[in-house]
Parts: sequence; C-alpha cells; structure tokens
Amino acid sequence: MSTIIIGLSIAMLLFLLSAGLTLIFGMLGIINFAHGALYMLGAYLAYQLSASTGSFWVALCVAPLLLAVTGALIERSMLRPIYDRPHEFQLLATFGLILVLEEFVRIMWGLQLRSIAPPPSLSGSVNFFDTDISKYRLFVVLFGAAMVGLLFFGIERTSLGLILRASSNNAIMAEMLGVKVSAVRTGIFALGAALAGIGGAVAGPMLPIQLQMGSTIILDCFIVVIIGGLGNIRGAVAGALLIGMTRAYGQQYAAEWIDIATYTVLVATLLLRPQGLFGVRLRTA
Amino acid sequence: MRMGLHPEMPAIGALMLGFLAVGLFSPDEATLYLAALIMIWSIFALGFDLSFGLTGMLSFGHAAFFGIGAYAASWAMMSGKSSFAAALAISAGAGGGAALLFGLVSRRVSGLYFSLLTLMLSELIAIVITTRLRGLSGGVDGLAGVPRPQLADIDFINTANFYWMIFAGFGITLLFCGVLKHSPLGQALQAVRQNPVRAEQIGFDIAALRLTALGLSGGISGVAGAFLASLMMYVSPQLLSWKVSGDVVIMTLLGGSGTVAGPVIGVMLVELLREGLSALTPYWYGVLGVIFILCTIFLPQGIAGLGARLWRRR
Repeated sequence: MSTIIIGLSIAMLLFLLSAGLTLIFGMLGIINFAHGALYMLGAYLAYQLSASTGSFWVALCVAPLLLAVTGALIERSMLRPIYDRPHEFQLLATFGLILVLEEFVRIMWGLQLRSIAPPPSLSGSVNFFDTDISKYRLFVVLFGAAMVGLLFFGIERTSLGLILRASSNNAIMAEMLGVKVSAVRTGIFALGAALAGIGGAVAGPMLPIQLQMGSTIILDCFIVVIIGGLGNIRGAVAGALLIGMTRAYGQQYAAEWIDIATYTVLVATLLLRPQGLFGVRLRTA
Repeated sequence: MRMGLHPEMPAIGALMLGFLAVGLFSPDEATLYLAALIMIWSIFALGFDLSFGLTGMLSFGHAAFFGIGAYAASWAMMSGKSSFAAALAISAGAGGGAALLFGLVSRRVSGLYFSLLTLMLSELIAIVITTRLRGLSGGVDGLAGVPRPQLADIDFINTANFYWMIFAGFGITLLFCGVLKHSPLGQALQAVRQNPVRAEQIGFDIAALRLTALGLSGGISGVAGAFLASLMMYVSPQLLSWKVSGDVVIMTLLGGSGTVAGPVIGVMLVELLREGLSALTPYWYGVLGVIFILCTIFLPQGIAGLGARLWRRR
C-alpha cells in the first residue's frame, strides 16, 4: 500500500514538470532543457520562503508566482528572438540558461543540502490497512490530482484554454482573428515555469534540495513526455503514472534492472509509435 | 559549391601552426596538457560534425561513441596487451560499430525524434556499461591505470612527447574532414542535409549515405575517446553521460557547424573560457551560460560564420 502512495506521489511530481515541458513544446515548439533548473530554483525559493515566514503554505503559493515572473522574463528576452531558428539553437540557449540558473542558486544558497519541514498538520503518518503512510505523500497525491483536474478544465473547458489551443494549432490564423499570439506564448512559458515552481515547492519536504535535483529529474520527465507523446497533456498524465509506479515498484523488487527496462521501453516507443503511446497525433493539449 | 579547400585553408593552417607553436615553445606542463585536451576534444567535435554539420543529423548520443572508444582502447591495452596503434584501430571500430547500430535502429526516424532516440540509446548504453558490465568497466569508479603508448624508447608518460602523437592524430583528422567535405561523397552527404527529398529523387541512396556518415562520425569519436583515456590514464563513466553529448553539440554550434575550422574554434573557445574565467571570477560557470545565450541570439553561424562574414566584407 505504501509503495502505491510513493509511486503516485512520484508520478504527481513528474506530471507537474512534464505538463509544463509538454505545454511549452506543444505551443512554442521549444524543448526546454532548463525545465529541471526552473524546478530546482522553485525548490530553493520555497525553502527560503518557508524558512523566512515559517509557513510551508506561503512558500507553496508564492514560489510559483515568482517562477511565473521569471519565466515571462526569460521568454521575452531570450526565446522570442530564436523561435524561427532550428531546434539545436533553442537547445543551446536553454542549456546556457541552466548554467545561469545554477550559478544564481550557488551564489544565493551555496552547495549545502537544504530541506523544508512539512507543515505540522501534514507531518507524521496515518495508519491505513495496517501500513504506515506518510501524510505528506498522501497530500502530494491529492494535490497533484487536483492540479491535473484544474489543468484539464482550464485547457479544455474555458475560453482562455480555447485561445491557447487556437494559437498552438494555427498561430497565423489565430493572430488574424485578433489573438495576441506573442502574449499567449509568454503566458504559456510563465505557466510552465509556475508548474515547475509548484513541483519544486512540493518536492521540498520529500526530497533533498540540492543543485543536481534538476538534472536528475529532467531525464525522467523527457521519458514521460516521449512516452506520452510530445505536446500531449493526457499522455503526460499516463506517462507520469507509468514511470512513477515503475520507479516505486522497481526500487522495491528489481532495483538493478529498472533503468534498463525503462530505457528499453522508451527506445521501443520511439521506434514503433513516435507520436507516443497515448492518443492521436495532435499538437493540442 | 566549387570552392575546393581554399576558403578554409587559412584558418586550418593557422590552427595547426598555433598548436605547433604551443608544442615547441610551451612554457609549462599545464599549458601542454590543456592544448592536448583541446586537440582531443577537437577530434571528437570534428567527428561529431560529420554527422551534424555535414549530413544534418543532430545526434544527441555521441557520448556513447566517445565513451565506448575510451573503454575499448583501455580494455585492449590493459587486458589484451595490445599496442597503442591496435587500440586506436579497435576504438575506431567499436565507436563506428556502435554508431552503425544507432543508425540502423533509428533509420526510420529523423529530425527531433532522431535526437531523442540517440539520446535515449546512449543513456541505455551508459547504464548497461556502468551497471551490467561492472567487471569490465569498473562501474562508477571507472578504469584507472590506462597506459600511454609504448614506441621505441620514447617516454610517452612525459606529456611533452605524447603531445606530438596527439598533434599527428589531430592533423590527420583535420585533413580527413577537409578532404571528405569536398570529395564527391562529402557533396552527396551535404545534398542529403540540404534537401533529402531531392537527393533521393536524383538517385542517391539516402539511408546508406546517412549510415556512412554516422559510422565515420562514430569511428572518429571513438578514436578521440581512446586518446583521452590514454592522456588522462583513466576512464571515467562520466564520459558516457548525456552532458558530454551536450558539450560537443554546444562547442560545435558555438564554433560554427558545417565548417572544418568551426568545431575546433568552438572547443578552443569553451575550454579557454573555462580556464580563463575560472581564474578571473568564481562565477565563471554563470558567465559561460550568458555567453552561450548571447551567441545563440546574435551569432547564428557561430564564430567561424562571423569570421567568414568579416572576411567577405573587407
């Protein structure tokens, strides 16, 4: 039972990051290598906020806002000039961004491991069918599920979501119809960064906060996004669940083989169904 | 297209003269070592650019060929007691073979999916080598005590002597890439990059050409790995990391892909910046990042492209 909760909590964390990654790819056509670095920045900001204010909840609310502002600035200054360039240039620019963000974190917080104390109401564990389950992980699962619902509702049921899908499907036509596509792009990148910030804040009490946390999770996120199909949010949910559960169960039963199995599945996916295992090939959410 | 070797000859000549001068007049061991390292990474970047700049396949898995070359050479020399020359040949074969395998697996995909597939294949290889083949690879500790070449009674443990062997390898690679680019095969590869549909219609066998380019590219990368293992006298599993693949992409792009001098200039720039900035400021890592970003926005053709533009304007 506790393995299921651990798997689900990893899955929710992966989803928060992969959703941003896949949204940014679907709507901006950019593979954001720096997404892991944004997540790390979010975790450090959340650490700072919770250390100064003493409240995890403040950190969870404010860190994503700060990340959204950072994301908007990055999109305006750095990505806007290079939308029309080949993918490798975008890769180079986001790679440079990783270096800059890591340096910033190193200057501000140094190399020490940090951690966030879970809020008092969520520390400890509950007994559930004879097993102890960490309350905080349970919270992460519920919170993640709520975020999934919110994102789907926002993208598929609101007029704002309609604008997003329109500008992604056909930017020129959307522009003709009066949509400010450039503003939409800034908004998408800010949203992706905010999701990474939420991910960082949520990860704070579960995982050690360190400089490498971004680069370790980003490969898993790529796996999720590829399995789910680039630009496909539904796929990202399924992919995150698959990888999260594999990680949790694999760790327990076949730790040696887990990575090899994951990458083999991934290579097979890319070969046989490059559009991803789930859904049809559509560049909508 | 009828330019011969001429447009790039001055740059190539200047690079060779520069490394010659460093070898002849270098003040100390540390400079020599850095220059040797730059030449080895240049061999790697030149090999990589055969696939990327020439043929238009952005592989994100070249670390695998580089690392496999390093491991293969080390195994050949340490367990097989082979000579350095034989080890170089083995590493070229191993790197090229791995590249051909990558090419066969990914023959149906192109563009972004090719990059992702090669990235994931090389991660798979890195995991297999460091966890499954622990007995051969030394696992996360790597292999220590990789020998330097033994030839007549020259002392290659002395970096000053080994330098010249690396210099020879570097020169041969530069020449090979320069000649290849302007050979009929090189022209065909460029056609595949510029317009695969048209190239196929004219009658080129695109799949075979792509495989050829990837195989050559992997072989050269493997040789670079063998040189690096012998220079450092150590093979680290870090060589297989996806960050190494990222490094070689970045160096090549910064220098200017598709040219012969570009990748070398890029490697030089990044390595010298690393050395220079780390002496100047503790925040060199971040400054390097800012330089990457600015170069992407303002120098789409890389440093070599800037040079060519200034040259023409004169």
